[in-house]
Amino acid sequence: MYVLTLEKEKRIVQPNPEAMETELKVNNLNVFYGSNHAVKNVSMEIKKHAITALIGPSGCGKSTFLRSINRMNDLIPGAVCKGEILYEGINLLDASVDVVSLRKEIGMLFQKPNPFPKSIFDNVTHGLKCAGIRKKDVLENAVEESLKLAGLWDETKDRLKHSALSLSGGQQQRLCLARALAMKPKVLLLDEPTSALDPVSTAKIEELLMSLKKRITIVIVTHNMQQAARIADQTAFFYEGTLVEFGNTRDLFENPTHTRTKSYISGQFG
Amino acid sequence: MNAKVTDRLATLCFILCAAITAGTLFSLLGYIVFQGVSHIDWHFLTADASTFQAGGGIKNQLWNSFYMLLMTMFFSVPLGIAGGIYLAEYARPNKITAFLRSCVEVLASLPSIIVGMFGMLLFVNTFHWGYSVLSGALALTIFNLPVIIRVTEDALAAVARDQKEASFALGATHWQTIRTVLLPAAFPGLLTGIILSVGRVFGESAALLFTAGLSTPNLNFGDWNPMSPQSPINPFRSAETLSVHIWAVNTNGIIPDAKIVAAGSSAVLVIVVLLFNIIARLVGALIEKRWSGK
Repeated sequence: MYVLTLEKEKRIVQPNPEAMETELKVNNLNVFYGSNHAVKNVSMEIKKHAITALIGPSGCGKSTFLRSINRMNDLIPGAVCKGEILYEGINLLDASVDVVSLRKEIGMLFQKPNPFPKSIFDNVTHGLKCAGIRKKDVLENAVEESLKLAGLWDETKDRLKHSALSLSGGQQQRLCLARALAMKPKVLLLDEPTSALDPVSTAKIEELLMSLKKRITIVIVTHNMQQAARIADQTAFFYEGTLVEFGNTRDLFENPTHTRTKSYISGQFG
Repeated sequence: MNAKVTDRLATLCFILCAAITAGTLFSLLGYIVFQGVSHIDWHFLTADASTFQAGGGIKNQLWNSFYMLLMTMFFSVPLGIAGGIYLAEYARPNKITAFLRSCVEVLASLPSIIVGMFGMLLFVNTFHWGYSVLSGALALTIFNLPVIIRVTEDALAAVARDQKEASFALGATHWQTIRTVLLPAAFPGLLTGIILSVGRVFGESAALLFTAGLSTPNLNFGDWNPMSPQSPINPFRSAETLSVHIWAVNTNGIIPDAKIVAAGSSAVLVIVVLLFNIIARLVGALIEKRWSGK
């Protein structure tokens, strides 16, 4: 009980998300996969240094929405994104945007832990090396710093040269987090990062995200509504490609305005 | 007939088919090796082939086979890997790509004697390179290229998509992703495929009949000047390989021990190809094991 009340108190002290600065401003986003209209006319403001959760049933377009922010949809033949995603005054969907530098600032963590079949060290330094950083001491410092941020340093400091595949699933996902953090991203996109993990590993990741949001804007797609309720400042509910409801997490879960949101969060469909 | 009986019959049928395949292979290998292995000795491997007396060896033919193999791989591996990378990573899914892919497939199924004819017309006659190691190696390159392209494309396609996405999401460029993520992950499959194709190239004869010729000059293994006509590494001299030698002594050989030489050469050929296959498996398994961190 003590823990619960403490958590409640913490929530009350938190600033009202709506008063916070905007990091990503999405205007009329439409995404098509060939003839499939996957995201329909979505507009929303993602707040800086806050956690925004995207929830909704499978196939509702939340992952597609997420992947259009760092232009991962470019990899899918036939995918077309229309509209605006404004980040530091630039429309990220513009053809002239350098996707390589964009992805250095907007990192991503995937559903399934996907470390490279290389050493732990090489996994963390992959992005840095691709960015042209070769100095050994810089790389070593970055590895230590990132692994510490991802809460993996104590478990791996003695075996940085070991294969990343020798780690457990939860450790692998934290390694992927460290790998993304090594790039010092300003925004971190997470696509159901804990759906393949056990509850203990999930709790660890959630804890990490709560501490990371002080410096990083986090957008997380989740199937787990308790997870959204636990960690998100703001929550968006997607249904069949449209953004049905978006607001402060507490309001959305306690007082949903739409009947669809209400029936989804009460578990009537999904 | 009830389902259980049918199931048993099906199982039996498949076991029988597998047994026939394995049985054929083992009896064939056993026969060739058994027939020839008793003739293989140090003298056979290191003596010159004789033209009409008994007791000749296969030194030059063995050397030619390896030299031709090396040159073929030198041409076909870089070209084939580059082509495979293009098809797997850069080609857009459209009609031109589909056409290109079927070209590769047709090339792969082309009878090797046709490749040899083409090689003769182009390299031997048009380019005036004559029956030579170079003409033979280029004909074998045409023969081997589609295999390497396919192996590369398949190995790259087999790398999980999430690996590629992970690298892109870290701000790596397409080429950096191919070089540091896709190719290393595809390497075991790639290497196995290449070594298997080595066995195919090593044993090929029809493509070489009209391109590398049926004779070898008297090689002087002390002369390594590539321009000297008797040098083993001169690319413009004719070069009868081991498999062509087997064909030649069997059809128009006048040596009294043609049968013995053919049997011995066949055994050497089969053993070398077998070794390539075993090496391919061992190396593939070793790399797999090292990279999976166990």
